[in-house]
Amino acid sequence: MKHTLRKKFYLIFLNIFYTMICLLALVPILYVFLLSISSGGGALLTGSLGALTLENYRKIIVEEPFLTWLFNSVILSVGTMLLAMGTSISASYAFSRFHFKGKNKAMWFLLLLNAFPQILSMFAIFRLFRLMNLLDSHLGLVFVYAGSMCIFGIWNMKGYFDSIPIEIEEAAKIDGSGNLQLILKIIMPLARPAIIVTGVMILIFVWNEYLFATTFMLREESYTLAGGLYQLQANDYSRSWPLFSAAAILVSVPILIIFFCIQKHMVSGLTAGGVKG
Amino acid sequence: MKKKSVLKKLSLLTACALTLGALSGCSKDTAATNNSQPENASQEAPADDSQAPQEETPSAGQDPIVITAWHDNDEAMMNALADVVNQALSEENITLRFEKKSDVAGQIRLYGTDAANGPDLYLFAHDALGGFAEMGILEPVENLIDPTKEADLLPMTLEAATYKDVQYLMPVYYETLLFMYNKDLWEGELPSTTEGLYDYMTAHTDTAAGTYALVNQHSTSYNVAPFINGFGGYIIDKDANPGLDTQEMKDAITYNSKFAALQADGDYNTVTTLFNEGKAAAIIGGPWLISGINDAGINLGIKSLSDFTLPNGNVMMPYSGVQCLGVLKVAAETKKDAITKVLEVLTQPEAGIMLAQNFNCAPANSKAYEDAQVAANEMILAMEKTAQNAVPMPNIPEMGVMWGPAESLLAAVNKSGEDVDSAASKYQQEALSAIADMQ
Amino acid sequence: MENTKKKYLPWLYCLPSFLLIGAIVLFPILYTGYISFTNMNLYHWQDYTFIGIDNYVRALGKVDSGFLSALATTLLWTLVNMVLDVAIAYVLAVGLNTDGLRAKRIYKTLLVFPWAMPAYVSILVWRVGMFNTEFGLLNKIVTSLGFDKVDFLSRNVPAFISCMVLNLWMSLPYMIVMIDGGLQSIDKSMYESAVLDGANPWQKSIYITVPSLKKIMAPIVIMTTFTMFKQFDILYLLTMQKGAVSGSTLQTIITYAHQNAFVSNNYGLSSAVSMVIFVIIILFSLWTNTAAVPERKGK
Repeated sequence: MKHTLRKKFYLIFLNIFYTMICLLALVPILYVFLLSISSGGGALLTGSLGALTLENYRKIIVEEPFLTWLFNSVILSVGTMLLAMGTSISASYAFSRFHFKGKNKAMWFLLLLNAFPQILSMFAIFRLFRLMNLLDSHLGLVFVYAGSMCIFGIWNMKGYFDSIPIEIEEAAKIDGSGNLQLILKIIMPLARPAIIVTGVMILIFVWNEYLFATTFMLREESYTLAGGLYQLQANDYSRSWPLFSAAAILVSVPILIIFFCIQKHMVSGLTAGGVKG
Repeated sequence: MKKKSVLKKLSLLTACALTLGALSGCSKDTAATNNSQPENASQEAPADDSQAPQEETPSAGQDPIVITAWHDNDEAMMNALADVVNQALSEENITLRFEKKSDVAGQIRLYGTDAANGPDLYLFAHDALGGFAEMGILEPVENLIDPTKEADLLPMTLEAATYKDVQYLMPVYYETLLFMYNKDLWEGELPSTTEGLYDYMTAHTDTAAGTYALVNQHSTSYNVAPFINGFGGYIIDKDANPGLDTQEMKDAITYNSKFAALQADGDYNTVTTLFNEGKAAAIIGGPWLISGINDAGINLGIKSLSDFTLPNGNVMMPYSGVQCLGVLKVAAETKKDAITKVLEVLTQPEAGIMLAQNFNCAPANSKAYEDAQVAANEMILAMEKTAQNAVPMPNIPEMGVMWGPAESLLAAVNKSGEDVDSAASKYQQEALSAIADMQ
Repeated sequence: MENTKKKYLPWLYCLPSFLLIGAIVLFPILYTGYISFTNMNLYHWQDYTFIGIDNYVRALGKVDSGFLSALATTLLWTLVNMVLDVAIAYVLAVGLNTDGLRAKRIYKTLLVFPWAMPAYVSILVWRVGMFNTEFGLLNKIVTSLGFDKVDFLSRNVPAFISCMVLNLWMSLPYMIVMIDGGLQSIDKSMYESAVLDGANPWQKSIYITVPSLKKIMAPIVIMTTFTMFKQFDILYLLTMQKGAVSGSTLQTIITYAHQNAFVSNNYGLSSAVSMVIFVIIILFSLWTNTAAVPERKGK
């Protein structure tokens, strides 16, 4: 009795605590949001908002090729996610499950490669893509993004794969499943939180990337959301803050929706299935 | 158990696929309808306008040629400029199309030799010229166009377009900083000296309350140039010697710093907002501020910086920046005639008149000023007056590495309270090594 | 036969990813290495030639006191940010996993918001909306408390803290999500038996949660450390962007290299500087690797 009362108080405390934390974290975003619905042309919130309006959102959606950009963003992020996840799940599985010579070295080598600042790679990739005729092509960007997120994916999932008891697999092996089947049928469901999180991370990375997107894409109609926004509004002198803010909110919302929907799938196959090592 | 999770996984995947399919499908449809409707009203309009006459006059017997130009300007302005050119060339089957690119200079460096993906022209301030010329990616404009056709262009703009005695660029319009003030806020007559300005500022500035007399981007070298040039200092001279630690420079920086103390933090966003919100009575800024000021409904008055005398008797001398079209060598090889025709249109006053009337740009073409409306434009008159004293930004490649050290020096003095002498010698060293690094 | 198959099988699994990484990650590094031996710069843009190790001699000349203090700043930056990032994320994630906290999905989604915005948007908004002396919210608070306006970015220490706050704001969502994911994998029965043994929440944390998370989180923490180490955008856009130089002289090795080599558009020299920095990062990671070895052996 006493115990449940304490628990209740604890939960109330937690709710207040997280509400505060969320509010605190959202202050800058509320700022952006207020700017985006303000009618003044001002760069900054100065206290007087002016009449509230959705005009800035209308302008972005109607007067800019917003839907084209959204479409490009979706294509690129899904393409990248498929390519990067496909390649890194199989590699991650190999690193987690097989014992082979040079395994640890290879993992560290990958990590070191990842330490090279990506921005420095741009010039080289530019040269390579020019030769391969991949400039101004979405396929090229998918390669860039998948390549840059691949190491991340391998490292991000390997730890989780390690935590899956090998006994489960051995049981399945006796049933005659091959390795690929093992990945599909056992590892993927069991490592679902890690896989989903990694997939979403890759999606967010692509969704928000703008440097490669604006450098390698040459026509307005092939920009992504983040790239198009950057192209139009990066320059201090030509930026309209209310438009910029509205666009920023519009870019973020799809990510949040995806994230919200995905959470109930992030419960581990391990605990949900009740399998214990 | 296993089957269950596989099923779950599968259903999740299908759900994802469905949502994505729905998303992409819907955006495809709407994108298509979107394309057909508002495009006439939006930026793609010029291309459409000019394609229409092309289709009607196939008799010209030429393949249509599209000339692409990259810029980082106001899109409406660039499209209006393209309209003027395309109207003049509608018989020739030539279309000029502007494409907005952030960081034009960086993009030109990458794509400057790429005939397949790069642009044909670019529009940018003239200070980037030297670097591009040394890279060997520019086709000199003087190879494309007969110099006698450029007789009407202002000598100052031609000078800015010339590097090592070769005229590489085609000047379109120029900009200088101006003194802009809010007629409703400024009390009394405008002073004619900078000391008078300073007195007014000390009397009318309340930093704690956030109200200011005059604001300026006081730690940006372009915006401090009116003081530097007026004091006889220089950021870099013609022989690529940086001048950050010269006495004139130090005097100018010291003098500017007393203004800076009364000018908020000097960030572009801050100073423009202060002015547009009526919290600052005046601002030193360029014509690019005008649309924001008009939107804010400010009762704007404009003065030339030449109307203010420094303590040494010189007037304030800002930099002039000439927006020029550059031609890429790879484009000139294949589209030489079409590009020449585009450039020839720009030697005529029409484009300049349009830019002046609609966008307050000061045309490079002297004939444009004969237009009655242009001659009556207060802002353009002020820029024209300023231009007589203004110093064209250096266009040698070394200038590219000077902005950083010069700005750091200003910020060190104005914002971090560092001593002028030690900061000047520190950033002079930084500038020297940056220049050495270029080779 | 079976044996050779076994030997190559792991590599076969890795092959697709290695091809991709080879083209997008490894090739640029090799190419940068190649350019670093040439004199490619503005004056030799298309006709560059091999000049041997000249660029490296000059690049090593840049390893001066300025570079060393930038390196020290970078290490401090990485350390402080990592500790705070992991600690705060851990507390928040554990709290979110309390049984009976019904609104956790909403909290999680809201906490992820900073991550959903493109980085340059966040940084600009913080610079202009939070730290700005005239209109920034922080200064509104400071002045309403009766203090003078504070320029958060003009001096090194406040600038460091400001950048750190922003960096944490931007990187915490990822860490929270990852730790949250890790917590899902912990066997709940372990807690049940711990409760029977009379363990308090603190003990549960120390003896069950942290050790169980270690294995899953180790790769993630290591990778995030590298990301922190090479963080560029925040410091650059807050304090040294052209037109908005704030006055602080804070430098990390990446911004230092950027200011001292990249602005010159000398690709040969800046490639050599990149390679030198790359080697420094490798040495740094080998050092952390040896520091982590006992732990790894413990697995």
